Amino acid sequence: MGYPYSHDLETSTLLSRHFGDEKARTLAGWRELGGYATLPEALEMEPDRITEVVKNSGLRGRGGAGFPTGVKWSFMPQEPDGPHYLCCNADESEPGAFKDREILRWVPHLLIEGCLIAARAIRAQHVYIYVRGEFFPFSGILRDAVVEAYEGGYVGENILGSGWSCDVTVHLGAGAYIAGEETGLMSSLMGGRAEPWIKPPFPAQSGAFGRPTTVNNVETLAAVPMILQEGADWYRQWGTEKSPGTKLWCCSGHLVRPGTYELPLGIALKNVVYDVCGGAPNGKKIKAVIPGGSSTAMLTADELDCESTYEGMIEAGTALGTASPIVMNEDTNIVRAMRRIAQFYAHESCGQCVQCREGTSWTAEILHRIEGGEGTPEDIDTLYHLCEQMTGRTICPLADSVVFPLRSSLDKFRDEYEALIRS
Amino acid sequence: MTDSGDQVNKPMHPAAASSQPFQVADIRPTERLFEDSEGRDRLEKAVSRYPEKRAALLPMLGYAQERNGWVSDESMEEIADALDLTPAYVRSVATFYTMYHKHPVGRHLIQVCTCISCHLLEAEEVFERFLAETGTRAGEISADGKYTVIEAECLGACGFATAVQVNDRYFENVTPDQVPAILDELD
Amino acid sequence: MSDVAKNITLTIDGVDVSVQRGATVLQAAERAGIVVPHYCYHPGIPSRPAQCRMCLVEIEGQPKLQPSCVFPAGDGMIVHTTSESAETARKSVIEFLLLNHPLDCPICDAAGQCMLQDYAFETGQLRSRYAEAKLVLGRDRVADDILYFGDRCIVCTRCVRFMEDIAGDNALVVAQRGHKAYIDTFPGKDLDSAFRGNIVDVCPVGALVHEDFVFKARAWDLDTAPGICPGCSTGCNIDINVKENQVVRTKPRLNPEVNSYWMCDHGRRCLVMANRGVRAEAPMIRAQGELEPAGWLAALTWVAEQLGDGDGVAVVSAGAANESLFYVRALLDRLGIQGGTFTVEQGEEAALTGFPKLRLRAERAPNADGAELQGFRRSDGLPTVENGATLVVLGDALADASAEYGANAGFFLYIGSHLYPAARNATAILPAATVPEMEGTFVNYEGRVQRFHRALRSPGVARPAWLSLSRLLEHLGAADGVLEVGDAFAAMAADTVGMEGLNWGALGLRGELLSEAGQPAVAAE
Repeated sequence: MGYPYSHDLETSTLLSRHFGDEKARTLAGWRELGGYATLPEALEMEPDRITEVVKNSGLRGRGGAGFPTGVKWSFMPQEPDGPHYLCCNADESEPGAFKDREILRWVPHLLIEGCLIAARAIRAQHVYIYVRGEFFPFSGILRDAVVEAYEGGYVGENILGSGWSCDVTVHLGAGAYIAGEETGLMSSLMGGRAEPWIKPPFPAQSGAFGRPTTVNNVETLAAVPMILQEGADWYRQWGTEKSPGTKLWCCSGHLVRPGTYELPLGIALKNVVYDVCGGAPNGKKIKAVIPGGSSTAMLTADELDCESTYEGMIEAGTALGTASPIVMNEDTNIVRAMRRIAQFYAHESCGQCVQCREGTSWTAEILHRIEGGEGTPEDIDTLYHLCEQMTGRTICPLADSVVFPLRSSLDKFRDEYEALIRS
Repeated sequence: MTDSGDQVNKPMHPAAASSQPFQVADIRPTERLFEDSEGRDRLEKAVSRYPEKRAALLPMLGYAQERNGWVSDESMEEIADALDLTPAYVRSVATFYTMYHKHPVGRHLIQVCTCISCHLLEAEEVFERFLAETGTRAGEISADGKYTVIEAECLGACGFATAVQVNDRYFENVTPDQVPAILDELD
Repeated sequence: MSDVAKNITLTIDGVDVSVQRGATVLQAAERAGIVVPHYCYHPGIPSRPAQCRMCLVEIEGQPKLQPSCVFPAGDGMIVHTTSESAETARKSVIEFLLLNHPLDCPICDAAGQCMLQDYAFETGQLRSRYAEAKLVLGRDRVADDILYFGDRCIVCTRCVRFMEDIAGDNALVVAQRGHKAYIDTFPGKDLDSAFRGNIVDVCPVGALVHEDFVFKARAWDLDTAPGICPGCSTGCNIDINVKENQVVRTKPRLNPEVNSYWMCDHGRRCLVMANRGVRAEAPMIRAQGELEPAGWLAALTWVAEQLGDGDGVAVVSAGAANESLFYVRALLDRLGIQGGTFTVEQGEEAALTGFPKLRLRAERAPNADGAELQGFRRSDGLPTVENGATLVVLGDALADASAEYGANAGFFLYIGSHLYPAARNATAILPAATVPEMEGTFVNYEGRVQRFHRALRSPGVARPAWLSLSRLLEHLGAADGVLEVGDAFAAMAADTVGMEGLNWGALGLRGELLSEAGQPAVAAE
């Protein structure tokens, strides 16, 4: 518990500046730390001007897909004919990712302020912050902050006397990874099974409750107040042209110093793994890293010298995802680790699309069999076939999510599969 | 409990009605949900936050569990009635989500994350140790009614492996050796 | 709007096809005569989750295969439904669906008309690569007459969406998730919708089965004839499934004007129940005090001799064909008998929210409006027969009559199919074919004249009533009788207000409305 990790790389802590400071959780404390300074300015601005600034900053969605945030906002109708909604995606469930919970529990008011500014930009009247159910301690902190913000006049009717009103509701999920997919989130918010729906309709046309809706990740929204305060160019001093800004990294697995770190985009992955996190403990070598959360392609220890940007990681054959490297040391049984990942996706498949419903569990079963020494040489061909048929065939990318690590593990660690099959 | 102290004596703010912890240790005997003012108040406040009544379904399933420790068929029917849904629909939703217990569980629901990051760091051993120490098999209630131990998929605490959730509390960086001390702390 | 009328042209598998803007690729393909295999899509169910992924097709310019059931057709679009990637994807869906499938086709009711079996036969592999133990879900009940075989279920959710979108009762749902998902009701709350039987019809596999059909027949042993449901005045278009000259099942037949793809459960039972009862198989006459069998010629000759002008009453059936009713009227005119009545059983209505035109209507007979067109009146019961008067009875009017009814008549002519107790009082019995044993027409509640076809052979020498009556009229000295049902219809149409201009052949399988002059008074609903 607590926030015990720090690192010695030269960096700027923007989102995480007040992580570990309990003062930031209360409204009074947060105001003392300079919080809610941007909101009054935003209330003076035209909504489209806010979107413009965020667009210029180059901020990209931090939930994994990296879609430009300002562009997403600009899809919302500019002449509302009824309510608009903002959904803040705090259903952080990707194995390897544990960054949003840090924002929820240390700087809840930063998130609330970001939500309000975004709501103003997209002309929304209600913000639903969808927090994964398991996060009781963190959603509780956020909930208390929202109530305080209501009492302080920052949320609700006629915010800060501006004449603009906006509600914020913290809404708990109840154990479903797929509620983190934006249409799955809205299905769940509306009181349904968290089943993704096929687009169109796109959320900006018909989202939550059939109304135009934008879904943004916690980390994305938390970055908005400072971008608006300091300007797009200021934000661009970190990161690269296409991937500006800083990013919260979630480092887990076999590391000396696992944890959450805020680092500028563009840092080399090997710096994150070895310098920030101290490499693998006990002098072990690193065998593989899944860099962006469990749904991204594995890299071998030789492939870590890649630039951690959205485009750089694609060039390296994987994805930045949620910037959540899962590090595996030389003793790791890759087949077993992959089986564990596949089991997760089989457990979390909503069950609509046939390829995902059947394919994820079949994958896990085959891997389980190979792991137990019962595999056959044909199993590897079948796994490749499954990779083929689970890619780009389904409503949402959950099936693809198991393919990325699976295919890369087959490509890069085939000898480990074959060794188990021979045994 | 995560309620901060100064909130306790005030009526619940409607904005908070959809985010109350619903895995709690103090389980009241199974009782009707909306026949007292507390239940009606929670229903009314949750419903007030959404343009459609149906959206209060997850909060109300959570409330049923908060109150009774699990979600019974009777609770589902009561919720269906309150939200103008069919009981079948409520069940369809309740069975989609893993956190709603369709059967009673022990007073301390111990969920050990065995997903990838925790798996790499002794999670299975922690899980086995919890089973051994509580004398239960996965998913069953211990003879004294105190514990149910289950494996959980990612709890979102990957950097603090192994993560264990007991009701609404997180225990992090848990090693197998710490298991007895955690169990002691629960009582 | 003029935009709606605008057509777009696309090319599917090399075939150019024009469709209205808004049509999906799957609909366009259908128009081009190309079947895109699918499971979750059903043309009668509005929601389209695109979840079975069977209808994926390749569309030039699209990076991924697209579900044709929801992808809008575009002008100039080039679609390949049988390209390698589309075929491979489809084949793979079949493989996925068969992983946990029990392959119990030899005992499955759907075998022979199963979309999984068909596509697996077309595209599947001989050997499954699945080496794991199959998931066993077992058998459950979702209604007192419908079973659910979870192992066979492919979770296409058609049944769930029929109940929600069409029946308006969200009582059937998907429980659990992922590969553990299955279809279920709430414990203790089985389906009680009057239209629940349709979930069996929409099931593309053998997961949902009618209990009264289970293990009864194989699909390929069934003969099928298009009929009209006799259960109420809606006149649902149906397919009658017959095995060994018995109706074993009734299924709805598409008619967008009447019943769409649906019918009610009351209707499903009607014809199956009609297998029962004691039939009149040969003409019978009371020449020497007792009813004795006779040949048709002898019987008709004798009846013609015995029937005289004078007082009389007539009772007909609202379940009889228009053609038969018309010739009863002609006979009555010949005998100088006025009037004639029929009774209609009344029952509770049941509405179908997703297709309001279809209701189980209160009048539980298919042709009350047709009987009125022939000058018969609705009545609460059987007319009193004066001693010595002539009594003419057509059809099942005597089903509930007391055993003495008609015993005091001077001459009691019964033209009917079943030997009800009161029918045994008849002076002459002309054995009639039941509706599924003949061709003819009904007029439904909104004045739609609909044809039904012959599904069964009549027992013995029973004949359609219109035929024996037209022969009897010949014996009574009228013009030459008709031998073909089309001619009977033509004779009736020429002589019936509202039917002028109707043509037997042109009625086809969708029927035609009566002209305004013949419209039933209650049609304005």
